[in-house]
Amino acid sequence: MSKRILQHPAESTTGKRYWRSLGQLQDTPEFRSWMDREFPQGAAEIQGDDVSRRGFLQFMGASVALAGLSLSACRRPLKNLVPFTKGVEWSVPGKALFFTSAMPSRNGAMPLVVTTFDGRPTKIEGNPMHPVNQGTTDVWAQSSILDLYDPQRSKGYLFGRKPSDAASFEKALGELLKGTPDGAGLAFLTDGTVSPTQERLRAEVLKKFPKAVWASFEPNGSELEASAVSAAFGPGHHAVPVLQKADIILTVDRDILGVEGDIAAIRGFAAGRKADKAGTKMNRLYVVENRYTLTGGMSDHRLRLAASRSGAFLKALALQVAKLAGDAGLAKAASELKVAETKIKDRWVEECAADLVAHKGAALVLVGQRQPAAVQALGFAVNAALGGLGTTLELRKTAATPALSISALAEELRKGKTSALFILGGNPVFNAPADVRWADAQGAVKTVVHLSLESNETSVAAQWHVPAAHYLEQWGDALAVDGSHMVVQPVIMPLYNGLSSIELLAKVVGTEPDALALVQKTFVEAFSTQADLTSFWAKSLKAGFVEGSRASAVTPALQVDAVAKACAEASAVRVVENTFELVFITDSKVDDGRYANNGWLQELPDPITKLTWDNAALLSPAAAKKLAVETGDVLKLSVGEKSVEIAALVLPGHADDSISVAVGYGRTEVGSVGRKVGVDVFPLLTAAEGRFRVGVTAAKTGRKYALAVTQEHGALEGRGADITRQSTKQEWAENEANPDYFLKMGIDAHAPANFSLYTNPPLDDIHAWGMTVDLNSCIGCAACMTACQAENNIPIVGKEQVIGGREMHWMRTDRYFASEGGDADEPEMVSQPMMCQHCENAPCETVCPVNATVHSEDGLNVMAYNRCIGTRYCANNCPFKVRRFNFFDYNERSITSLYKWNLISDKGMPESLQMQKNPNVTVRMRGVMEKCTFCVQRIQEAKITSKVHAGDSGVQPRVPADVFTSACAQVCPTDAIVFGDLRNPDSKVAKLNKDQRSYRLLEYLNTQNRVSYLARIRNPNLKMPDAARAGSASKDAHGHHGEHQQPAAPKATNGGHA
Amino acid sequence: MANIFPRWSNWLPFKIIFCLLVLGGGVSAGVWYYLNPAYMRVGYQPAQPVPFSHKIHSGQLGMDCRYCHSYVETSAYSNIPTTQVCMNCHSQIKSDSPKLQLVRDSWESGKPVEWVQIHKTPEHAYFHHSVHVARGVSCVSCHGKVNEMEVVHHAETHSMAWCLDCHRNPENHLRPVSEVTNLDWEPPAGTTQQKIGAALVEKLHVNPPVKNCAGCHR
Repeated sequence: MSKRILQHPAESTTGKRYWRSLGQLQDTPEFRSWMDREFPQGAAEIQGDDVSRRGFLQFMGASVALAGLSLSACRRPLKNLVPFTKGVEWSVPGKALFFTSAMPSRNGAMPLVVTTFDGRPTKIEGNPMHPVNQGTTDVWAQSSILDLYDPQRSKGYLFGRKPSDAASFEKALGELLKGTPDGAGLAFLTDGTVSPTQERLRAEVLKKFPKAVWASFEPNGSELEASAVSAAFGPGHHAVPVLQKADIILTVDRDILGVEGDIAAIRGFAAGRKADKAGTKMNRLYVVENRYTLTGGMSDHRLRLAASRSGAFLKALALQVAKLAGDAGLAKAASELKVAETKIKDRWVEECAADLVAHKGAALVLVGQRQPAAVQALGFAVNAALGGLGTTLELRKTAATPALSISALAEELRKGKTSALFILGGNPVFNAPADVRWADAQGAVKTVVHLSLESNETSVAAQWHVPAAHYLEQWGDALAVDGSHMVVQPVIMPLYNGLSSIELLAKVVGTEPDALALVQKTFVEAFSTQADLTSFWAKSLKAGFVEGSRASAVTPALQVDAVAKACAEASAVRVVENTFELVFITDSKVDDGRYANNGWLQELPDPITKLTWDNAALLSPAAAKKLAVETGDVLKLSVGEKSVEIAALVLPGHADDSISVAVGYGRTEVGSVGRKVGVDVFPLLTAAEGRFRVGVTAAKTGRKYALAVTQEHGALEGRGADITRQSTKQEWAENEANPDYFLKMGIDAHAPANFSLYTNPPLDDIHAWGMTVDLNSCIGCAACMTACQAENNIPIVGKEQVIGGREMHWMRTDRYFASEGGDADEPEMVSQPMMCQHCENAPCETVCPVNATVHSEDGLNVMAYNRCIGTRYCANNCPFKVRRFNFFDYNERSITSLYKWNLISDKGMPESLQMQKNPNVTVRMRGVMEKCTFCVQRIQEAKITSKVHAGDSGVQPRVPADVFTSACAQVCPTDAIVFGDLRNPDSKVAKLNKDQRSYRLLEYLNTQNRVSYLARIRNPNLKMPDAARAGSASKDAHGHHGEHQQPAAPKATNGGHA
Repeated sequence: MANIFPRWSNWLPFKIIFCLLVLGGGVSAGVWYYLNPAYMRVGYQPAQPVPFSHKIHSGQLGMDCRYCHSYVETSAYSNIPTTQVCMNCHSQIKSDSPKLQLVRDSWESGKPVEWVQIHKTPEHAYFHHSVHVARGVSCVSCHGKVNEMEVVHHAETHSMAWCLDCHRNPENHLRPVSEVTNLDWEPPAGTTQQKIGAALVEKLHVNPPVKNCAGCHR
């Protein structure tokens, strides 16, 4: 045998390259530092606080002396065991108890099952019985548990910002209502969530107070879409895309898989994307957008185009579709639309339109909710021409009754005739459009009552602040995306005596504010046809939703003339040359600012930019060059007389004449987590111009701002092409017979056969735990990261620590760009969840001096925290960079006092946060290493259950296939992550491991990973001008070169050792 | 030149080293002996707020452990009984004993009796009661002959080495699952614990975590 060269082959700089960031593409010193060192130089000195290292050492002596004194009292502390006085139904100390519930949201409530331990909710999962999400959830549902326990939640009534109480509020409310027997001068403002009970109470309020005004406002809502639907199909409808029925999907400025969609759309898309074997039918996604979104990341063809030019694209497309489909009405409507002069790639439009028309009845066009109503209406007309109405695009009756817009309400308030305004949730002082001038309008009202979870900007400007009950604290009801009726079941008594919105409305109406009774009354009225309502209620509560209550589709005809009229009447979107358009995007984390005090969300890297703890102005590399800025330079964005200063973040794939910025940051009246985070861009957003603005000028200010971007943190030297593998449907079909097609990509195509100098003890347990991640389904939404954080008691570390590379997330979603020759303008995007690979030959284990990380018989790479002495050798030797070290007592210290001297800083976790912790997972302390455990607490629970079931029967205890799963796999909206027992042939993971697409990372290192990935398949339309760029593996720098190929290494032995 | 140091100082360094060795050895021996669960824990016998006698209830009256510790077979924790369980009997028997005043107060007020914890698993270790009793580990193996204790005390060390003794050699402790709560059980005449235990290990496929840290630490 010739000498085995263990050096990693140098990465080729020609051909197709995969890169994590522009830093990597240009090979900057900063990026090299991330690769060569575990942490950047000087990370230990990066400090957010005042105590220097020298000061710390000076104090050390004193603290050692004091510690000696305190040794005198070392008796065993007395601990008490406190049982209930009376047994509580279903409650078994130490066992989890599950309740169905639902999280209300503007897009339709998320059906949930909430895990509770001894009366404390600790974790949220999706309701597996509900057809909409089938047990999956999203980032927001996962992190809502932290909102419940937020130590800075509002804990009492405030009157004029001074503490008050419920009795005084009742009295004041009574006097308020006595003043207006007919409701003149009363106004109500709600958010966009739809609750049947709230709707019922609204009707009662308006019956009792007929002159009262009712408005609703959702900062990231979809009013323009509603008016487009109304124009195209008549009022009272809303449109629901059915992605599972669509073979060809075109989105125009619509992030349907991200913040502008819902879980039903995501699951629908993923259902059409499963590629079991070569030649399986797959949907095709065309995306037109101004910035990279999750939808763009999944696209087969992507066109970057400013949002202000999307109308022009849609017009060109509609004309082409009309021509091919012979639809005169559509042609007329499209030609009426006035658009900005825009150069559109003709062949792109022609081939896309041809593909859509060729799939009549199974084609879907989705237009962005920020586009003018006429453009969106034209989008519906295109769908009608493509025969999609009733199949790929369903129409349903709207459940919510129409209400005034916030602009209209503000006008009403400014008249000065309103004596009392009730704001039920929301924060309009912060997030109402600037031209509404809401703060003035609210100031014109004598008494403002604001109900909210936290005391925010609106509370401060209101006379009364009423603490709200979290949705997990009070009975309520809601409608799911599919319109099914769900009961929001509380799982804990209100922690701070909060009031729910329906209770407040009941007080206004003068009925008993008993939330359960109110919800049950709605239920009884809605389902009065049921014979036995008591058992029907119990059954529905158990299931979490009312079976068969799904909203049915209606089939109104498209009024093409009305669309044409709307198009004709709409004024053209202006495009001002040599300026930028500014696109206001819904933030993937804090939404409209409502989650600003949620540390899990603030620290979650944005799925695309990987930015934490901030928002930034996203712009293309070309635009950055033009402005002579780079990431971290502060830009001044001005339009009219208003301007904001915000740091730039250069994002490949962004349209050159466009800047995107997330709203919801820069809150001022907020808890300590959200304070001084990001920049408020609402001052630039106006109701008149909508959610993108043209004619914005950008100028470099010369200031620098530190952004905490995790993008380069987990960089593996030039291994992008190796660890993310993709191919196209067509090329896969050509290589169907080659079992090594996906195995021998990248460096593995050159690597000699593996052999090991070690002999490891056999992994001979009856189980062999393993995981597989389908890159073809993974959209990169990062719900898995939040689920992992909630399940495994992972702390947040704060912005300074993230900049130092010390974030604690056990798993991350890596985002790679791929492009031919390193083109940064129009790269492809691939997301890859990355967690501990549980290598059977784990490099971390061999370097641990104290055996703190070792292997278990069932194949886990386990960490014994109590053994770890914190050498961090393991993290240095991990090829996947998945180990995390507790540099501070992140659990015991608030992120603002990490650097404070031990004896003077506040220690200890707030009591409410302690309640969230999973009792089955150790809360780690300073100085220990941690990493993904494959949710070992769930594995142990399952094993123990199998042993208890076996008892003394003599049956071999064995965990049945797929009875439990890890937190990341459970939450995954696209079922991309699958966890289970590789030794059980019936388990999903064992089956997926046999897939031709299955490969393991860095196989040539012979680490024998227990995590495998399924290669991504793109489905390009070969007639498209950019088809050659799409996800083709053979064009990789390290592609198939027959002469290099070595005899195939034995494939994944998974459990046994070859 | 006069000697600066007197003659006896020649031996001083050796004496100092000797003293330090003795002192260090003494400290080590002290730590080894006293800071050991066998010394620190065994025999811990705090006074309970209610003078509940396991000797009377379990020993003389023969009540099964599971009457009060009812979830031992289903949960990780073997629960402390609720006041309600006490009152099941004591609303009729000894219903005005002064010793039970606290229990009656608790029943009236709804405020629980605060028992003093004796056996405490360290926070980095996860012990699961139900899997042990389901596989033939008796209560007596870890808690001693509680049925003979007037006031419960810590009978075993509950150190990691002690756990591993049994995990490595379960045959020394296993008994038929039906006899788990029979604290006075002895192997029948003519056989030994080892024989019965070995047969049970074989029959029940007993395979406790031995080298798998995550079996107890997670």
